[in-house]
Amino acid sequence: MTRRLRALLADPTVRPFAVLALITIILGIIDGSRGRVLSANTAYDVLQQFATIGPVALGLGLSMMVKEFDLSVGGVLSLAGCVAVMTGETNPVLGLLLAIAVGGLAGLAQGSIMTWLNLSSIGVTLGGLLTFGGLSYFLTGNTTIAFERLDVALAVNAPVLEIFSVRSLTAIFLFLVAAFVVSWTRFGRDLLAVGSDRRAAIVVGIRVDHILIAVFVISGALTAIGGGLLSYGLAAASPVALADTLVPGAAAAILGGVSLSGGKGRPLGIAGGVLVLSMLRSGLTAIGVPPFAHWIVTAGVLFAVGILDSEELNRRVYSIRHVYRW
Amino acid sequence: MSVSLGSQTIETVANVTVSGQMLLCDPILSVRGLSKSFGPVTALKQVSLDVYPGEIRAVCGENGAGKSTLVNILAGIDRPDAGAICFDGKICTLPSSTEAQRLGIAMVAQELSVCPDLSVLDNIWLGSMDVPFLHRRKELRRRAYEALSLLGAEHIALDTRVGRLTIGERQLVEIARMLTRNARVFILDEPTATLSDSEIDRIFVALARIRREGRSIVYVTHRLAEVFRICDSVTVLRNGEMVGTSKTTDIDRKKLIEMMLGRPFVEMYPEHGYVAGETILQIENLSIPGAVSNFSARVTRGDIVYIAGQVGSGAEGVIRTVAGLVYNATGSVQVNGKALHLGSADEAFHHNISFVSGDRAEEGIFRTLSVTDNLVAARLRELSRFGILNPISLRSEAIRLAVRVGVDQQRLRSRADNLSGGNQQKLAFGRCLGATQAGVIVLIEPTRGIDIGARAEIYQLMRQFCSQGYGLLVASTDLEEVVGVGDVVITMYRSRQVGYYRGKEINMQHIIADITHPLH
Amino acid sequence: MASITTWLESIRQDKASMIQWAAAVGVVLFAVSTPGFLSATSIRSLLTTVSFIGCVAVGMTFITLSGNIMSFSIGASMSATTVVFMMSLTLGLTPALILAFLFCAALNGIQGWLIGFFRANPLIISMAAYALIIGGAIYITGGRGIYPLTDETEVLKANLGPVPGPLAAFLIAVIVGQCILSFTRFGRNIYLVGTNPRAAKAAGIEPWRTVMWAYVAAGLFTAVSAVLVAARYRSGDMEHGIGYEYRAISAVLVGGTAIQGGEGSVVRTLAGTFFIALMQGLLILRGFGIEMQYLLIGLIVLAVIMLQWKGRT
Repeated sequence: MTRRLRALLADPTVRPFAVLALITIILGIIDGSRGRVLSANTAYDVLQQFATIGPVALGLGLSMMVKEFDLSVGGVLSLAGCVAVMTGETNPVLGLLLAIAVGGLAGLAQGSIMTWLNLSSIGVTLGGLLTFGGLSYFLTGNTTIAFERLDVALAVNAPVLEIFSVRSLTAIFLFLVAAFVVSWTRFGRDLLAVGSDRRAAIVVGIRVDHILIAVFVISGALTAIGGGLLSYGLAAASPVALADTLVPGAAAAILGGVSLSGGKGRPLGIAGGVLVLSMLRSGLTAIGVPPFAHWIVTAGVLFAVGILDSEELNRRVYSIRHVYRW
Repeated sequence: MSVSLGSQTIETVANVTVSGQMLLCDPILSVRGLSKSFGPVTALKQVSLDVYPGEIRAVCGENGAGKSTLVNILAGIDRPDAGAICFDGKICTLPSSTEAQRLGIAMVAQELSVCPDLSVLDNIWLGSMDVPFLHRRKELRRRAYEALSLLGAEHIALDTRVGRLTIGERQLVEIARMLTRNARVFILDEPTATLSDSEIDRIFVALARIRREGRSIVYVTHRLAEVFRICDSVTVLRNGEMVGTSKTTDIDRKKLIEMMLGRPFVEMYPEHGYVAGETILQIENLSIPGAVSNFSARVTRGDIVYIAGQVGSGAEGVIRTVAGLVYNATGSVQVNGKALHLGSADEAFHHNISFVSGDRAEEGIFRTLSVTDNLVAARLRELSRFGILNPISLRSEAIRLAVRVGVDQQRLRSRADNLSGGNQQKLAFGRCLGATQAGVIVLIEPTRGIDIGARAEIYQLMRQFCSQGYGLLVASTDLEEVVGVGDVVITMYRSRQVGYYRGKEINMQHIIADITHPLH
Repeated sequence: MASITTWLESIRQDKASMIQWAAAVGVVLFAVSTPGFLSATSIRSLLTTVSFIGCVAVGMTFITLSGNIMSFSIGASMSATTVVFMMSLTLGLTPALILAFLFCAALNGIQGWLIGFFRANPLIISMAAYALIIGGAIYITGGRGIYPLTDETEVLKANLGPVPGPLAAFLIAVIVGQCILSFTRFGRNIYLVGTNPRAAKAAGIEPWRTVMWAYVAAGLFTAVSAVLVAARYRSGDMEHGIGYEYRAISAVLVGGTAIQGGEGSVVRTLAGTFFIALMQGLLILRGFGIEMQYLLIGLIVLAVIMLQWKGRT
């Protein structure tokens, strides 16, 4: 029994859910019987955050799985929001589709530049971040644009079955599709191969370029869906590049088992990571912890993850245990 | 059935021996006039050859002769600049490895091409056209298991992550991948470097079976013993050109080397030095959990001590421990009588220990920096005052070092990755030269990937160091080098020390026996 | 004659210099044709603004050269340093300066230690530090700015002859930074570790020390900017440094330093900083708003990175 449990916990996709359970239990205990943490309210809150961070984490996570890094998510998020709001007055669905197209094109452009010129993604997506962020400034004329369709704004966030909403259900759906593709299709398997050892993938005949471009298109589209729906829900589009999504998105992905060295991680694990961060945030708010603590906790999680994922950890722990002079 | 010395002679008819009978038939794979250049470097020049069904053809040549380029083109990984390829009587182009796969050519590349995060099953089927969009696993599992059994590797569970396998097991997975491809021509590029003898035997059994089925094998290797053991014929390349093809029964080892070198075989190992010196390095009871058990040795100044052992025997672990790169080693190491704290590269450096790595690109040189920067990299502390460097003194030091190791002074400004493998290795040696006392140099596979001509220079360099009072400790799997260069040979097998040979006692048979199947 | 052709040849091969030359020529042409550009005040105000970012960019150069790509927290550490500086002014100007420098050096040095000692991922650690700094700042300042009670900081706004104070500081920082990189063992070690940390180890250089000190250096240069900014705006506020990391890394990359490390220099960053600033200035003078500037900078960075392509292998 314990061996199976340990094997299960060793699975990087299961781990974030275990952490989630642990956090929920701890917060529940702290909360006592006041019922603030284990409530439908909190669950709704968690899932709303899931809807915001989830698509970004998924897109970023997929790019990390192929051993790249999509820095442009912040810029695409705000650009997509602007496009959706500006074009979605009469037909919100069309506006959203347009935003997705923009996000996909952004990914296509970056992916093509990367593969065509054999460049690393950090540089190209940094340029993308600045360009797309700048584009949203340009489109909005550096002001916040209001979205007149308040009915859509409400509908997008309206509680479904008490804890869900259109936004969170969309995010969940996206994760399920991604999970299926990665685990059950050849494309998914080749994606992992590219991330695991790119040279080997080239040698066996995998079209690495196509996969890289596809990943960035998907990442752009996912971010755009998240950004479009978010802006609808806020009834406004702001050109400020939401850089605050990059940090939680990366943290969530790494918590979910994705590694910067590529080839590891699964969409469901990323979902778990997003839930962990969302739960931390909502739970802490529910028991009345002030906002600065959120940052501190996120910092703690990232530090822990950064150190635990590091290369020299074993060596350093060994040295410290043997009180060795370096 | 003819030997062609000189380029461009083409054989149109060959006798193929299939279980002792002579048959005449058409080649399954022919190339004519194949040429390929990478920028200014010509890798292949008008190469033509024929491969026949049921034949195991060895392809031999020095490093840079074009062997890997040739097989990469045959497997569709690279495209030739000129020339024609003819498969099964039909002219074809190989724009991709998928196309080559479709035609019936499968390859195991020289560098391990497995994805460590995927399972054995996934790796075996990676890139195969037989895999549908929606993974169906049952049929694929069966065929994968069959391929592994053919190699005697059925103990490797199909769902294991390849990253957990040993290097030899990963190589077997890759060969299993090749076997599932149902090809007519199999190409193996240096497949046995990481394998134990028993694993190599299994591979040869599998290859023989393939030959019996009428398929062909192109076997690229520089292990001449294997050429004569399993191959029917051998094609020799030199400087990108085809030198000739010969049946292995019609040629001997010396002749083969001459074809590869283009000149008469000359003794390439320098005279042994017999300088009896003081003990400079003393290792006692060195252990690394899981890699080395209780290793002890002594190196005197002027000696070259070789630790011979296969991959995984622990020889590399010993070297890396002395270099300070292993954090969990126990035991004692003394340099010039002073104890060395293990686990710190800094410490080792201060004890005058220099490390020349077997992995030049990853650990040995600074590829994008200049030759000067590479040469003086280890000397910066001495050459600086209060932390400030004088570029003039750096340059003069670089010149001095370049002269001592035989690197052309004109190259001082060039980037290190523009140099040949041999010259790059000399840079690593140049770094070992300290200003003051001669110290210890520990090396792993010093001539890996270096062609025969440059090897002789490296051996000379090693002897030079010895005569200046250095002591050398080398881990190597190249037994010819071990026997030819070593003053002392210590053999290791699976983490344990087996034998110790000095001077005249050094004997190839005993060493091979020690490292493959010792008596205890 | 031969030396000129080899010089031209080397420029052609070295794409970074090509960028700088092309940019310089293009910008000069554009500048000369823009009315109002050559007036002294417009140039001086531009260069002052640019100096704040420039000092941070010099610090970022050290981080990038050491092989650690960039730091996401350097803007936040700059802001936090302005706060610390303002808060410690009650102790006097010199102690406040010392505290500010020590604080920023420590903030970044600790990150550098974690990254070097554990070989942890630099992006993750810097993101974590960003979160920590923001959280800590909210706790300490409650989101407000800190304002000084006295005029001590006026001296920091003085001019060095005809040159604006901040610009002089920036140029001195550039000179100091470049001297460190070119003439000291520490500087050489940064290039070695940034190119190949494993080979550096084999050559007797302990990579984590070099990385840590590179981050400390980055912190010190950032502190220069922090002190100047705090003096200029007469406040310590977390808003000051927003976006600085992106502008700094843009300057570094546009100047031609390689993002994977081991190749580049502070002088290149100087060129990159000026180039971006000039572009901005020209846009302003030609009547374009800030939204056009952001877009243009993004496109320039993208273009420069594309120019660094190494060709297909």
